[in-house]
Amino acid sequence: MAEDEQSLITDEHRALIGVPGEPSTVVVREADAKRMRDVLGDTDPRWADGTGMAPPYVIAFFGGRGGGGGRATPQLLPGAILTQQEWKFSRPFKIGEELKAVGQVFDIRERLGGRYGHSVLVTTSTDYYDADGQHVAASLLTITQFDPARAGRGGSE
Amino acid sequence: MSRYYEDVRVDDELEPVEKLPTEDLAIDFFGRDNPTNPAFADAEAGRRMGIGGALVPGVLKMSWMTQYVNDWAGAEAEVGSIRVAFRRPDVAGKPLVLMGRVVDKRQEGGKNVVELEVVTIADGEPSVRGNITVALPSRG
Repeated sequence: MAEDEQSLITDEHRALIGVPGEPSTVVVREADAKRMRDVLGDTDPRWADGTGMAPPYVIAFFGGRGGGGGRATPQLLPGAILTQQEWKFSRPFKIGEELKAVGQVFDIRERLGGRYGHSVLVTTSTDYYDADGQHVAASLLTITQFDPARAGRGGSE
Repeated sequence: MSRYYEDVRVDDELEPVEKLPTEDLAIDFFGRDNPTNPAFADAEAGRRMGIGGALVPGVLKMSWMTQYVNDWAGAEAEVGSIRVAFRRPDVAGKPLVLMGRVVDKRQEGGKNVVELEVVTIADGEPSVRGNITVALPSRG
């Protein structure tokens, strides 16, 4: 294996996989739901003002409200770009409810070649639970880490 | 209007919808008081990343895709999941066309699940590819 093809993933990194972070809490805020609905032009009556419900995409903002679930994302290379994301919904969100967020590193893998050269793909997940401990939703995202000096220009988000 | 499981067929296509992402839209989506990636609002920051202008946030595109399928599925439907791959960056100011197609329908966990493939097209090329599952009501 050439020097620049040596694996960057150590046993320390692998040990992070599947270890839940310190839980955090996030509140489904009416202001966030309304703002996002307005920006998207979403007139769906199910989550209109006064229904007490929030649209599913409000999950996009949980990370920005401290709902990352305490996961520690290892940084192996200086460049980072979001390449894959997933949301899962067990039930609709209610305005004002407080959710417990539990994050973890879901997977770490490497890729040789391609537009980013030698890259590391880190997938993290956050599960959201209600006050009764019932699963409400989950978010997974994959960040591709790369060395900008070695990657091609442009590329995926 | 409700869309019923029995009325949906694999290969059914959704009517395309055009969206125009802008820097202002991205800032408003996250909220003007909330710090976010500077490349979402600053074309120069985007250019420094090798993109041709301000970057369109991935979660904004995911939200549009979710809304697109919700609108198609009707008021009794429930989106179960959305999984996307960001293939290319999208630049603010360039129109995006959302297109969708039914790729599967199945009974799953007591629900009538329809799976759609949804893609955003910019400059004639796909930029985001996604699969969305939605549970539909039954006529029965």
